[in-house]
Amino acid sequence: MNVDKINKKLKENGFTDFSVRESPEGLVLEGESSNWNDIVNAGFCTAKKFGKIHVINDARYTGDEIPPMRRPELNDKAIDGLYPDVLVIGGGIVGASIARELMKWDLDVLLVEKEYDLALGASGRNDGCVHPGIDLVKGSLKQKYNLAGNRMFDRITIELDVDFDRCGQSVAFDSEKLLPLMHLSKIYFRLMGLGKVRVFNQKQLHAFEPAVREELKCGMFFPTGGIVCPYNLTIAYGENAVDNGAKLSLNTAVLGMEIEGNEIISVNTNRGTVYPKVVVNAAGVFAENIAKMAHDRFYSIHPRKGTNTILDKKTARFVNTSYTLRGGEVKKEGNTKGGGIVRTIDNNVLVGPDAVETYKKEDFTTEDKNIAAVFEKQSKATEKISRGDTITYFSGVRAPTFEEDFIVEKGRKIRNIVHAAGIQSPGITAAPAIALDISKMCVELLSECGEKVLRNSKFNPKRHGIPRVARLSDKERSALISQNPDYGEIVCRCEEISRGEIIDALNRSVPCDTVDGVKKRCRPGMGRCQGGFCGPNVAKIISEQKNIPLENVCKGDDKSGLLFGRSKGGDRND
Amino acid sequence: MTDFDVIVIGAGPAGLAASLAAEKKGKRVLLVERAARMGGILNQCIHDGFGLIRFGEKLSGCEYANRYINEVRASKVEVSLLTFVTRIEKKDDIFHITLVSRSGIRIVTSTALVLSTGCRERTAKQVSIQGTRPAGVFTAGSAQYYLNILGEMPAKKCVILGSGDIGLIMARRLTLEGAEVIGVYEVKPTPSGLTRNIAQCLDDFDVPLHVSHTVTRLYGESRLTAVEIAQVDEKMRPIAGTEQIVECDTLILSVGLIPENELAETLDIELDPKTKGPVCDQNYETSQVGVFVCGNALHVNDLVDYVSESGDVAGSAAADYCGRKRELVDIIAGKDFAYAVPEKLDVNSEASKTVVFFRSRDVRDKTEVDVLVNGESVYKRKFMKLKPPEMERIVVDFSRVKVGDRISLEMWEA
Repeated sequence: MNVDKINKKLKENGFTDFSVRESPEGLVLEGESSNWNDIVNAGFCTAKKFGKIHVINDARYTGDEIPPMRRPELNDKAIDGLYPDVLVIGGGIVGASIARELMKWDLDVLLVEKEYDLALGASGRNDGCVHPGIDLVKGSLKQKYNLAGNRMFDRITIELDVDFDRCGQSVAFDSEKLLPLMHLSKIYFRLMGLGKVRVFNQKQLHAFEPAVREELKCGMFFPTGGIVCPYNLTIAYGENAVDNGAKLSLNTAVLGMEIEGNEIISVNTNRGTVYPKVVVNAAGVFAENIAKMAHDRFYSIHPRKGTNTILDKKTARFVNTSYTLRGGEVKKEGNTKGGGIVRTIDNNVLVGPDAVETYKKEDFTTEDKNIAAVFEKQSKATEKISRGDTITYFSGVRAPTFEEDFIVEKGRKIRNIVHAAGIQSPGITAAPAIALDISKMCVELLSECGEKVLRNSKFNPKRHGIPRVARLSDKERSALISQNPDYGEIVCRCEEISRGEIIDALNRSVPCDTVDGVKKRCRPGMGRCQGGFCGPNVAKIISEQKNIPLENVCKGDDKSGLLFGRSKGGDRND
Repeated sequence: MTDFDVIVIGAGPAGLAASLAAEKKGKRVLLVERAARMGGILNQCIHDGFGLIRFGEKLSGCEYANRYINEVRASKVEVSLLTFVTRIEKKDDIFHITLVSRSGIRIVTSTALVLSTGCRERTAKQVSIQGTRPAGVFTAGSAQYYLNILGEMPAKKCVILGSGDIGLIMARRLTLEGAEVIGVYEVKPTPSGLTRNIAQCLDDFDVPLHVSHTVTRLYGESRLTAVEIAQVDEKMRPIAGTEQIVECDTLILSVGLIPENELAETLDIELDPKTKGPVCDQNYETSQVGVFVCGNALHVNDLVDYVSESGDVAGSAAADYCGRKRELVDIIAGKDFAYAVPEKLDVNSEASKTVVFFRSRDVRDKTEVDVLVNGESVYKRKFMKLKPPEMERIVVDFSRVKVGDRISLEMWEA
């Protein structure tokens, strides 16, 4: 490793406040700046793409205080003294799919998540695209797991009873110059196993996606692309893991670890100390923090925020699949798959996301200028999108490393940890395949210390989702209502969600007692009125079902109560 | 033979009036309501001021609704509560309506249809408020439901964005309940609500009104902790440097109402982009023959009395509907009108007392409104003041209008 070369490169690129030194763990970036982007760019400048040696960012940011991790206020002993075979840290798509994969073995698995529900990080805040894996560097882990994960999606979503549409993905171009290249790459993509990849001429492109701007000249279509609801998939993974015996502890933040030699002895949380044989680090933007606690930090995460806008279902008639525009004046946005216009699995149109570097790992705020920029960019693909059709928008924070590749491997210094880190787009697509490999690594580690790990003969891969009553035929729907009349009482008018579905959402194996939890599981409040009509009714159903006073019903975490108690004339005498 | 002559969807004030009007003409009427009781939003309107025009009395919303509800109960109108319309199809001039309720699925047929589906509130995201997504951001109608129906306090210290009537009513209601209302902020240079509500709900309770101001940002990870408020320029864009942070636990939005016409859209009914309701004639028949519309689904009203009136018209026209041929003439409102309803006149139908509702686009003093047929004035009226929040009602005799004529509405300084 020639550190001098890198230092020279840093100087040449104007990063004079930074230097790099080599350590047994990796390339340590040092220095300080009040400009976060300088630190990130110095990190990029240092990074060797797809090597085994990662950038460890020790540069100090002086521009602001980096906010501490949001953690639950709760302090109890709920999981104190547990001795799980495997502790999985992080209830996103990666952690939840790993927990479920591990249940195929006869193992005691504990999944901890610091938030009140699963999928509250990047897994619940993305566009839900299942990527074909077309623009990933050959030989990268991203490419490997994207391709493998994509192939697993049909089976996984059937097993977990989650909606999945392999609608394909298209890319439009504004110049015909690219056509010969596209025909060549078509062959390459077909050889990669991406199915009947097609090249569209202008006519075909517009026949396929009629709302694409007239002046766009040609395009490509990738039939293996698809769309899924990312948080529902995560919750489904979690539910199936719990159904098969995994323990889930929500509101549980890992605060420290006891290390002896090359081994994690115990893990401290706000809900007690646990003694796992193997630890899986699937902590998303906090994976580096967990690695540090484990004395196994060999990479760094630089958070990158993206904002998506959801448009009214009425606009969905303009979009058949999901598409994006490339080439010409539209520059590929640095290190993200660039976003686009996506018809979501629930038939809304999603516009976004963008990519903004940030030092705040949990900055879920939105900014008008970012949304405006996304619309400006995506309007080059179609003029049919309008901010006037907005029903909501949200931000998520990705967890990339400076090498912009996944880290899926056993600990380097510590024997009993496995890292699934740096997982960003195409993380949803890759998760099923990552879970498979990580679970194998866990089993290997357990076997190494003489443990005999057997297959779990009782594993049941099938999960039954909440019925979507509005989609049933009249006959099926009638039958369901006659069994349980709650399925006939519509609470959410925009999305046509019945009382029965809401009650179901509250009584599943991953606990849920919040308005947002119900909203994610069965969609009341996801429509154009954003819960203006059904919000109070959903809160009332939660209160009745969970036997808690209405004023204790929360939107999300336990400090997000909706109400302040009875009104003056509101004494209960009904 | 259909199951019903007229099916009315929505049992708020418009639907109640429409079903009674149709029943009075001896028709078989079904009134469908998705909530557990009739009355619609009136049920949560415990303040008074309803019924001055209709009954010459000041009633609460609940009392006003009850007069109609009692009448419907005493009538032959069949009422189906907790019932949701999932599908409307028109086959051979007959409407087939699929209803879902706790007792299952029922498909009913009718000759005519009245849509009285009301309106919904615009949300925080529709007025582009940025920042975090905490609890404590309610539309005024939701806050009113929590307080008046569920008896729960949605706020302790709140900011109200928008000076629409429900926002003003909630400013008073929350003050009476002991909450602190820091102020009402309105993005426009003039208030959106009725003048009487500004006086009775804000002035009387010392709640300040700040026009040309808006909320731009929310703070708070869990519950709202503060909002950012900025002054806006004449194009209603926030002016940099005028931002101030106001601590509060609740933001209540009264930033406009949108007619609910998702059912109408499934029938390919033409909508007026100005009213966001269906284009209709003086009988409130839409572009889809046999489908009538009334109340706030047609255009957002400020007085319930007019909502009921439109229900009367639509219900009685639906009862008389027999598939006769319409001949329509456009009623074109000039550029100074925010909108005028109806947008068409059916010259084959009674037109001697056509009610025209309109709103001016801007606040104006001393204005003459002129209704012209082929450029010749057929109606004139002077208004001392016209304000966009206050809907005006005029009655015009269009009985001499023929096919090919041109009806236009103009206003000028008097």
